[in-house]
Amino acid sequence: MNLPADKVDVAIVGSGAAGSAMAAKLAEGGKSVVVLEAGPARGIADLVSSGIWARRLKWGGAPVLEEGQHPVGYVFNSGYGTGGSAAHHYAVWPRFHAEDFECRTRYGRGLDWPFGYAELAPWYDEVQSEAGISGDADLEIWRPPGAAYPLPPVPVYPQGETIARGFAAQGMRTAPLPLAVLSQSYRGRAACIWDGWCDAGCPIGALANPMAVHLPRALAAGAIVETDATVTRILTDVHGKRATGVEFARGSGERQRVMADVVVLAAFAIQNPRLLLASATDRHPRGLANSSGLVGQYIMSHAAGLIYGLFDEDTRCYMGAFGGQLVNQDGYAKDTHADNGAFGSYQWMIGQAVKPNDLLGIGTTRPELFGDDLHAFMRQAARGFGSMTAVVEDLPVATNFVRLSERQDQFGVPLASVTHTADPASQALWQAVLDEGSAIFEAAGATRVWTGPRGPMHIMGGTIMGGDIAASVTNSFGQCHDIPNLVIAGPGLFPTSAGVNPTFTVHALTARSADHLLAHWSELQT
Amino acid sequence: MLRPDIDVPDADKGGAMRSLTRRSFVRHSGLGLLTFWIGGCEVKMTPREAHEQGADMRVLTSAEVASLEEFGETLLPGSRAAGIANYIDHQLGEPADRQLLMIKYLGVNPPFVPFYREGVAALGRAARAAHQLDFHELGAARQRELVSQVSRENPPGWGDGPPAPFYFFVVRADALDVTYGTMEGFEALGIPYMAHIEPPGRWGE
Repeated sequence: MNLPADKVDVAIVGSGAAGSAMAAKLAEGGKSVVVLEAGPARGIADLVSSGIWARRLKWGGAPVLEEGQHPVGYVFNSGYGTGGSAAHHYAVWPRFHAEDFECRTRYGRGLDWPFGYAELAPWYDEVQSEAGISGDADLEIWRPPGAAYPLPPVPVYPQGETIARGFAAQGMRTAPLPLAVLSQSYRGRAACIWDGWCDAGCPIGALANPMAVHLPRALAAGAIVETDATVTRILTDVHGKRATGVEFARGSGERQRVMADVVVLAAFAIQNPRLLLASATDRHPRGLANSSGLVGQYIMSHAAGLIYGLFDEDTRCYMGAFGGQLVNQDGYAKDTHADNGAFGSYQWMIGQAVKPNDLLGIGTTRPELFGDDLHAFMRQAARGFGSMTAVVEDLPVATNFVRLSERQDQFGVPLASVTHTADPASQALWQAVLDEGSAIFEAAGATRVWTGPRGPMHIMGGTIMGGDIAASVTNSFGQCHDIPNLVIAGPGLFPTSAGVNPTFTVHALTARSADHLLAHWSELQT
Repeated sequence: MLRPDIDVPDADKGGAMRSLTRRSFVRHSGLGLLTFWIGGCEVKMTPREAHEQGADMRVLTSAEVASLEEFGETLLPGSRAAGIANYIDHQLGEPADRQLLMIKYLGVNPPFVPFYREGVAALGRAARAAHQLDFHELGAARQRELVSQVSRENPPGWGDGPPAPFYFFVVRADALDVTYGTMEGFEALGIPYMAHIEPPGRWGE
């Protein structure tokens, strides 16, 4: 693909959920858009239904160094190539709750968002209509106000039915898990066949990843998606007041530039602050957009609360979606487990489709077994395995941050080093959740119950938004306080992590930002 | 897009042909056909076929292969025949961004050759410290005993290798991959692979 020789309206760094959604809206709004993706080109028809092959969808760029007691699992949680992390995401799309936006105000802990739930609600509605979410808004009694889901709920298989029994026995409720996976054909896309290969990408476009929803729209509107293009620097004018474009490198080492009126960083929560810090100039000696000193700070990662069990029933645990079949948010109030010193929200994703191998596969859940014992377990679990996962909120902590390492990548850019140790209250919540989940499985009749280690799930923060320029990096639309035509998109903007999956909120935020940019385009030129 | 190391014939052609060839490929092996070398010639095979045909190794020495196969066989009987050493060796010879080994998302940065090589060496040192024999010479009972210890702690003699329980975890995952991560492996467990199911329609082609 030949890049335009002249300046474009928008250069977007990253082709994941935020980058592709921003590209679609801005291109459809008449802007010339170039998306730069570090990894290889990939379409939905290139996705192979294999957990081993799917590892190629994980991050394959410059190493990220991890420190602290609870690493964020960067390679597992991020992506590489067209679609970014969203190419392998599980499409669990619940909404954040009102209290997630007002954590500091309501509880005196964490941070506040620069707006409340009601402000974002219209964009949640818009995005769910575009992408297609399957669910039952009435049964999902915890759900904040919003339009009903456009598609009926996902099917429930014996694994989900069996575990739901345990919730009922504990006086807890379940509802269909809201999934951006099509339960019926929708807007020209095929319905899911519930084969459980979500993490390997969805080759039929039933799952709302960027290749299925936003990138086709962006391309149809004239956007250019350039792969094998690792952005190495954000360019600014001599006054340091405006972003003027980006420099990027090919795998061959060749350097090129794209000049643009607006630069959007959508390279996920670690690479965005890395690029800002690595683009320091005389005008911005601590890194771009870093007058607050907060670029890189407040990195968050949900803790996964993993519950496993064996049941007498044939659970058909390989059927369904990778994210699960049912949801429970009875414990969403942030003080549910305050007696244990815990704080924060969580939800249960119930009845994940599992495969025999890989990090989340059946064999890995009992890592102590080997030899004939491992074979015997595999045969038993293939019939009666059950699992559910809690998404456990991670409080924002200023000492969880991204900084530049002294080591450099092949292009001379310092590597990102990420430090993350969970707040004790978040860690206590994870422990309390494990106890609750184990009790639910026992109540469901599991013949054996065990738990998994604290796994990192999702990465957020690092370029948080806010109304106070001294306490945040961007405004509520992702525009950097110091450089308004430099825009951040993605979960790096989140001031708090909530207790649900982030991708739906990433999309809603991005749609809101894109609408604002289009409505105020002339102001971005000055 | 034609991936250079996984052969998906006609993958860059459109329509039904692409759908058909993708399914044919997946049916053959969930792990995929990898490029191996026999007598200096490139051949597309599964790791199991590469093992059966004695494909050349690209990275590991014959002694390292012997130890790795014996370790894998102890971790999960059948993984030797499934081609665990061929699979690991093939992947170690690949560029970092095309690696398929699970270690890539376990907090170890590439290259991964030192991890495997030092793990094999450490296992050998531990075997010799306990029995004055290499690991592949121990016999099944002593191998199980040592592997049990490796799963919990660094045994005497382990030295500077990667943490023993982590090495155990990683190679065990590789053994699960080649044994149960394939269509044959799914079938052995009675789990339908389901890439066989023809979707009602393909969108985006």
